[in-house]
Amino acid sequence: MSVLLQQLANGVVQGALIALIALGYTMVYGIIQLINFAHGEVFMVASYGGLATFTLLPEDLQKSPAVALPLMFVGGIVVAVVVAVIMERFAYRPLRNAPRLAPLITALGVSVFLQEAVRVFYPNAKSNLPYPKVFPEGNLTLGPVNVSWTGVLLVGLSIGLAVILQTYINKSRMGRAMRATAQDPDTAKLMGVNPNRVIVLTFVFGAVLAGVAGIMYGGYLNNINIDMGFQTGIFAFTAAVLGGVGSIRGAVIGAFIIGLIKTVAGQYMPGGTQYDYVWIFVVLILVLVFRPQGLFGEPERVRA
Amino acid sequence: MSTVDTSSGKRSALAPLGKPLAAAGGVLGIVAALLPWVTFTLNDGNWPDKSTLQFFDAPFSVTGFRWHVLLLGVLILVAAFAPVPSKGRVVRALGWGLTLVSFVNAAYITVKGGGLGAITALDGATAFGGVVGLVAGVLAILAGYGIGIGPVGDWKFKVSTPVAYLVLLVSFGAVLYAVAAMLTTGGVGSANPYAGAIFLSFLGFAAGILAALSGVGFVRWISALSEQHRVFSVVVLAACALLLPFTDAGNEYWMTVAANIGIYAATAIGLNIVVGLAGLLDLGYVAFMGIGALVAANFSGAATAYFGFDLPFPVAAVIAAIVAGIFGAIVGSPTLRVRGDYLAIVTLAFGEIFTRSAQNDIGGFTNGSNAIPGIPALSLFGTEFNRSISIGSVKLPAGVLYYILIVLLVAATMAVFANLKFSRIGRAWIAIREDEDAARAMGIRTGKMKILAFLIGAMLAGLAGAVFAHKNGTVSYESFKFLESVTLLAAVILGGMGSIPGAVLGAALLFVLPEKLRDFEDYRLMIFGLALILIMRFRPVGLIPDAHRRAEMVERADENAEEAHLEAKKA
Amino acid sequence: MRKHSVKSAAIVGASLLVLAACGSNKTEGGGNTGGSCDTSKGTLTVGVVAPLSGNLSALGLGIKQSAELAVDEANKKCTVPGYKLTVSAQDDEANPAKGAQAATKLSTDPNVVGVVGTLNSSVAQTVQPILRDKKIPQVSPANTNPSLTRGNDFLTAPKRQFDNYFRVCTTDDLQGPYAANYLVEKAGKKNIAIITDGKTYGEGLAAELSKQVAKKGGKIVGSEKVGEKDTDFSGVISKIKALNPDAVYYGGEYPVAGPLSKQMASAGLNVPLMGGDGIFDPKFVELGGKEGDLATSVGAPTESLATAKAFVEAYKAKFGKEDYAAYGAFSYDAANAIIGGLAKTVEGGAWDDSKRDAMLTNVGAYSGSGATGEVKFDQYGDSTNKVLTVYSVTSGKWKDVQTGEFTG
Repeated sequence: MSVLLQQLANGVVQGALIALIALGYTMVYGIIQLINFAHGEVFMVASYGGLATFTLLPEDLQKSPAVALPLMFVGGIVVAVVVAVIMERFAYRPLRNAPRLAPLITALGVSVFLQEAVRVFYPNAKSNLPYPKVFPEGNLTLGPVNVSWTGVLLVGLSIGLAVILQTYINKSRMGRAMRATAQDPDTAKLMGVNPNRVIVLTFVFGAVLAGVAGIMYGGYLNNINIDMGFQTGIFAFTAAVLGGVGSIRGAVIGAFIIGLIKTVAGQYMPGGTQYDYVWIFVVLILVLVFRPQGLFGEPERVRA
Repeated sequence: MSTVDTSSGKRSALAPLGKPLAAAGGVLGIVAALLPWVTFTLNDGNWPDKSTLQFFDAPFSVTGFRWHVLLLGVLILVAAFAPVPSKGRVVRALGWGLTLVSFVNAAYITVKGGGLGAITALDGATAFGGVVGLVAGVLAILAGYGIGIGPVGDWKFKVSTPVAYLVLLVSFGAVLYAVAAMLTTGGVGSANPYAGAIFLSFLGFAAGILAALSGVGFVRWISALSEQHRVFSVVVLAACALLLPFTDAGNEYWMTVAANIGIYAATAIGLNIVVGLAGLLDLGYVAFMGIGALVAANFSGAATAYFGFDLPFPVAAVIAAIVAGIFGAIVGSPTLRVRGDYLAIVTLAFGEIFTRSAQNDIGGFTNGSNAIPGIPALSLFGTEFNRSISIGSVKLPAGVLYYILIVLLVAATMAVFANLKFSRIGRAWIAIREDEDAARAMGIRTGKMKILAFLIGAMLAGLAGAVFAHKNGTVSYESFKFLESVTLLAAVILGGMGSIPGAVLGAALLFVLPEKLRDFEDYRLMIFGLALILIMRFRPVGLIPDAHRRAEMVERADENAEEAHLEAKKA
Repeated sequence: MRKHSVKSAAIVGASLLVLAACGSNKTEGGGNTGGSCDTSKGTLTVGVVAPLSGNLSALGLGIKQSAELAVDEANKKCTVPGYKLTVSAQDDEANPAKGAQAATKLSTDPNVVGVVGTLNSSVAQTVQPILRDKKIPQVSPANTNPSLTRGNDFLTAPKRQFDNYFRVCTTDDLQGPYAANYLVEKAGKKNIAIITDGKTYGEGLAAELSKQVAKKGGKIVGSEKVGEKDTDFSGVISKIKALNPDAVYYGGEYPVAGPLSKQMASAGLNVPLMGGDGIFDPKFVELGGKEGDLATSVGAPTESLATAKAFVEAYKAKFGKEDYAAYGAFSYDAANAIIGGLAKTVEGGAWDDSKRDAMLTNVGAYSGSGATGEVKFDQYGDSTNKVLTVYSVTSGKWKDVQTGEFTG
């Protein structure tokens, strides 16, 4: 029993990280129907951005987490946003009217490019880099369950930011514009919505969340590598689909489901951790076969 | 040519300067070719093509990139003053070619030479070739805008069949020559320290010339011709491919690379059925190739094979194709309910399940992380396929038999693809791709058709996988990961979805490019990523768009233009 | 003529003329870096096949640069009279098919005398036959799969697989059992949990270790696997923790092992983590390896070996950093074995294709003392250096605790 509880806790923390990234996937997909494979790399770049910020700080500031940590968040998020905006402007926007799969290849190209660029140009990025210890050490212990404080913070941030995002999209003027563009870009345009602004903003939101995720990842696992975006990105994309692309709530719940399947299936299913990925994808396929639009997605509309 | 319509802001400012700019660009290009490019002998040895030679020493014997620059300069002059269709496009394309060639060489010399002194003036020696070439290129690009970017040239005239055959023969021959030249630029071994630069420079030249040919309408005309004489074209193309071993590129290394390209091309054609024709995005496709390879490996008599006996290759290949096809149908079955990108993720999931299972030696078929090594090479009449052979006095490199086998395999899959595409089934697939609901309303049994697409595509991949197993001698799950699926998909889209030669060209590009970029070691994957972005930016419909699809694209582009026009009016 | 051109060029590049003063790295007599040695007979090439891009590039780069160091030193010392040596490094992307292409590219170059590589055993499987057909010796710094040299039944019926294939590193069937002996007998850890990354190296090591643990009366309490690109190991750790192991053996490399050890500690699983030479790297500690973690590595400890110290210093002097990674020293020895074999082959003569058989024999007969200890090959092509050392993390550094040979 205690093992089950611990595994559930592990799964929730893993899910929280995936959720932050899945939100970026789901928003971009909701607006321009693009599987932005490079989004995982935005998360990776943010992590390196945060690390660079820390390295550039004078030594006495590095020692006080209260100063260093916010600056790292700022650094990471800024890098993520800049990369995402450049990516949107120069790689995706020119392809807005191209065949549907062309931007997909561009996204893969961007993904390879970003990964390799960091590997080649960031000092010592050829192997894993240790992340500075700016986060509080220690664990939260609840009975048999043991979770590090960073993990707790990650879960809190993930859910908190998702709620804020959901509220913003439902309540604010800009959020309404986003929803309108997602539903029918042409009509939205006629109503005075500037689609380019909406799309850039979508990318920016995604990048901010990925930026937060990047720093939290480094703090939680204490090391980063250039591959981190790819793997997490695939899970995030899977989570977005599982929850129903375009749905904020779906992405978050999908992410937690994936985290939980990974840890619980690794524990109890035949084959153990050797097959934990397999169970994630089996569940995904089953869900999609019985609910083709994902858990919280709307049935696919036929687009004009 | 056409100086009316189109709303390019740049044009109005540059319009009167078009021809003078082109003249200046062309002349400067010729001058650049004859100027020295580097002031001294670099530490790694002479820059190629006698670039330190002083001014106009040997105007008629320039070689390599200087000859390319000279040719581009002359062509710019010709294009500017001869009656050429779509003049602006042609001049601009040639200008880009000139710029790229100059930039690659100048940048390389600067970096290798350790400063701008190497391409300007140093110790009394001057070398402005690179700078002049760059300026000439930029001038020509501006000239192109000045003259005006009209629609791509459209050649209406018809030719008789013999003339068409001759034209096709010559064109494909030129393609063969260009391919061989591209493969061998910079040499094969590690001898030439500047091989990377020479290759990039050649690529710039080739891109410029190709873009110009396409701008002038020649490419469109040729593809229309080859569409008319499809059988003849395929035969000639296959013949050209079979002739490659007799060119300079006919060495063991390129035979191996070409054979690998062929295997992936055959797989990509299979994927083209699923993605290009039926419009079903598949992100786990390489798994079918893996299944084919594993089946063939297990029947090959290798030491760690599951079955202790070896079947003759054709039998094993057929079994491989069938098993892969069955899995294809299974993976395809969710298509009955799942649509669009949701289906893509199902296929991705299947691909991941395959790699994980193969890694864990599921059922004892894959030998897990140890892979199945020692798969014997194919042999025919006692000759192993990986040995070199001689025909008369001509000695062909090792691996040429595999190459021939694979060319035949690719030709066969192309034939299957072409026949399907123009059959009732193919039309049904295209209908599903365009509008599934409408297709269903027209009486097409969409579910059955979609599963059929998966089944046939997977069978082709399985067949290719069987050859892969014997060609490489080892089957490891590491060869069939997500990245390979992505590369295959990129090959299909780069080449042009649904077009017959597209997948082959795409696969060739995706495999040749990294091979030729070997000299860049650390940077090569980065350049590769950048190249993907750029190709999609400038050719979003792929390099050889399907004629059918192209029509749709043009229609849509017209609509967009109309929309933009309306908007401009509104504002 | 000259004047005219200068003028036209000057008009165009006027602004650049100012920058022209930036200078160059022009050196007199460039191209002859052979120094005082006689290089009249030309250039010969030592090939390297390793992953130079992608996520294993840190290891691949260490292999490449260490080989370059060996070649550089040979050029300076005129080891191969009459020839200048160069390195041609080819990227295999850790992909067997790409490795085959890289090997073919090298094998078609008549100047390639030998190949250092590969990193991955699965890539070696495709490279071996290609190089054998051209009689090019291949010396691997990192392939630990025993079947590469001795075939599938390597324990019961060893049989030489490829007469051109050698390796300077130790094999799983020595390293795994040696680690098992240490854990069970010396450290008294009876209940051992195994985690691997599922790749050839880690799986092989873990499999050989498990056999020996059982033989020595220990118990494997659980065997788990982490994904190749996984980074959050909490699920695996919780599962292992419930089994109460005395120690965890990790089959894999340091980029995973370091964080894994750290996450084990923070999840409250405070038992030592042990691994093979893949985790014996200073980076392991940097990435979270904790006090008391163990690793085995081939050869005597670096501190006690003058040749090893010399290698580390020379590497630092040439590349500025100690980033030769896990297999740098092996690669240095591998390159030296090829160079040594070559020196003997061309002694007093010139290199040509007919010397290839002699070259294979000479590499096989090579003997020297390298950065990892004695370098010599047995009848299967395996290293005869069966000395292994157990290291333990002590105050933030690897410290040797036991050196010996595996005796069963």
